[in-house]
Amino acid sequence: MNTIASQFTQSASSRLQSEYADAQRDFSNAPQLNLAPTIELPPISQPTEFLRAHTDDASNPDCKIKIAHGTTTLAFRFQGGIVVAVDSRATAGNWIASQTVNKVIRINPFLLGTMAGGAADCQYWETWLGTQCRLHELREKERISVAAASKILGNLVYQYKGMGLSMGTMVCGYTKKEGPAIYYVDSDGTRMKGDLFCVGSGQTFAYGVLDSEYKWDLSVEEALYLGKRSILAATHRDAYSGGSINLYHVTENGWIYHGNHNVGDIFYDIKEKEQSFNNVDA
Amino acid sequence: MSDPSSINGGCAVAMVGKDCIAIACDLRLGNQSLSLANNFEKVFPFGDKTFLGLTGLASDVLTLKEDFRLKHNLYKLREEREIEPETLANLVSSSLYERRFGPYFVGPIVAGLHSKTNKPFICGFDLIGCIDFAKDFIVSGTASDQLYGMCESLYEPDLEPEDLFETISQALLNAVDRDALSGWGAVVYIVTKDKVVKRVLRTRQD
Amino acid sequence: MTTIASEYGNENNSVPIEHRFNPYSDNGGTVLGIAGEDFAILAGDTRIVSGYNIDSRYEPKVFDVGDNIVMTANGFAADGAALIDRFKSAFKWYKFDNNNKKLTIQSAARYIQHLLYGKRFFPFYVSTLIAGLDEEGKGAVYSYDPVGSYEREQCRAGGAAASLIMPFLDNQVNFKNQFEPGSDGRVKKPLRYLSLEEVLALVRDAFTSATERHIQVGDGLEVLIVTKDGIKKVYYPLKRD
Repeated sequence: MNTIASQFTQSASSRLQSEYADAQRDFSNAPQLNLAPTIELPPISQPTEFLRAHTDDASNPDCKIKIAHGTTTLAFRFQGGIVVAVDSRATAGNWIASQTVNKVIRINPFLLGTMAGGAADCQYWETWLGTQCRLHELREKERISVAAASKILGNLVYQYKGMGLSMGTMVCGYTKKEGPAIYYVDSDGTRMKGDLFCVGSGQTFAYGVLDSEYKWDLSVEEALYLGKRSILAATHRDAYSGGSINLYHVTENGWIYHGNHNVGDIFYDIKEKEQSFNNVDA
Repeated sequence: MSDPSSINGGCAVAMVGKDCIAIACDLRLGNQSLSLANNFEKVFPFGDKTFLGLTGLASDVLTLKEDFRLKHNLYKLREEREIEPETLANLVSSSLYERRFGPYFVGPIVAGLHSKTNKPFICGFDLIGCIDFAKDFIVSGTASDQLYGMCESLYEPDLEPEDLFETISQALLNAVDRDALSGWGAVVYIVTKDKVVKRVLRTRQD
Repeated sequence: MTTIASEYGNENNSVPIEHRFNPYSDNGGTVLGIAGEDFAILAGDTRIVSGYNIDSRYEPKVFDVGDNIVMTANGFAADGAALIDRFKSAFKWYKFDNNNKKLTIQSAARYIQHLLYGKRFFPFYVSTLIAGLDEEGKGAVYSYDPVGSYEREQCRAGGAAASLIMPFLDNQVNFKNQFEPGSDGRVKKPLRYLSLEEVLALVRDAFTSATERHIQVGDGLEVLIVTKDGIKKVYYPLKRD
């Protein structure tokens, strides 16, 4: 009897041990989280100064390489989940490079990332974040929390601090344990959780509308409209925001896209309906 | 950016048609990215059939507008007749060159019909008064690159007034939609020998 | 800071010698891509400049990079050539490694993002365009900024005269600011796909206009047309002044 029992205990523990050893070997062999791919640097002593001289148009207006900037994005939490609204204009100096930029990056069916600052930085690292989130799912057999996802991005940009990355992003999502959550992450390394954020050159205008109308108890329809209306106000007053408005609603079942609204079309509709924007002639 | 000519934003364009001219401008006045006013006209009448467009630094636009109003009034008093577009052009040129080493940051354009012969005339200037006599079109302002592209591809000579209106409007509208500092409304003047039509265009408000 | 010997033997001066690493120049030129229903085109002028000199009147810059994809990288010619070389070489390896699998335009587009972003801190000074057909056989144009942000579009102008051509394209390809006659500006002109003939006419107009007003554009226009039957090349002369 004892021999039989010991045989089983022995075999069970050895199976566990071998699985543990296997896992440990796997983790130590391949670097499990390849945090960043290799990015070339100019072969000089001060790469950051070089980059600033050639690409940063605040310190050097006539630099050759223009990196797309200018934006208004917002996200807020409310009774029915999260609303995300963004504009779609990309500017390089005073030149409007595009009116059709997609500034919401669909990291996965439950996570959205917004895009302000360097278009390429946001696009690249948020799609990269998507792959990291998928790897997390495969490893842990569980969807990643918004906190963890935003922290992966936060840690990544912190590694590059001072190198000239430029991004201001909101990672928005829903998980069972967190509920709806928004994390603001920027290229300085800031990462904070909050209920309501506006980011970009037109952020102040969006805050103006959003703060005056925002309530936790907003219905979904009201919340979506408020998001759209706040971005509309920003596109109106901020020269570097405009184009069209992309709207999203994040629920417990993932995000729902609520369409693309051309500012040129909806402005006069809303003006007429609300009797607002009285600085503009009909 | 602290370039004086692109702080406030705005642009203007003039075109020659068959026995007519058109001159148009946007309505925006801003402080860099902040849009302040959507009723800032940049085209001013001088007599019945002569117009001056002024883009650039808004304070200089207003100063020069008043300066030329004064000079235009004195001219009328002394000559007892309206000023011809050519004459206004030379007045603008010499006035700007007086400030050769401390210039007004403007891009003026002149368009009009001769008071007697009704011959179309347009011209543009640099900020110190060098005149560009063009036979087809003149552009000016922060969207000048875009306007050059639009005008060069849409323009054809000897357009009738209604077609000239469509051409200059499309040129202006599509140009300002690619410039962050221009737009927020637009005004077009169509000048023929016996009437001037002013039209305000409905534009995007972003 | 460095120490240099002066003309007087025993006198040494400490003088800061300024070194500024400037690996970029601008070779001008302009490019343009338009997508149609079952075709896409990429056009570019054939002039190469440095400063006020014309270095070449015929130097093609739009290339067939394989699998019915055409590509151009306009701006600093050396960076443009380097980028296209890198793409072509990666394309070759992709074919070797994946049993000659067809490279879709989406995959090519994403890969180019990585090529550009791989030099985020030492960018390629180029505006890049690719054109081809998507998996449904519809025309596709992808455009990039110098560090790899990209977007699929109906049309895009890049390079020196982009600011002259782009508003014209908005107007004539996407019918921006065009309305149904008599609707008082309330009913938009409906969007439709343009035929290849219409597109070629627009491209030629765009380039003759740009040639007229931009000193870095001219000499010749080379257009690569992508259809399901392959890539066709056409050349039109432009003004050489």
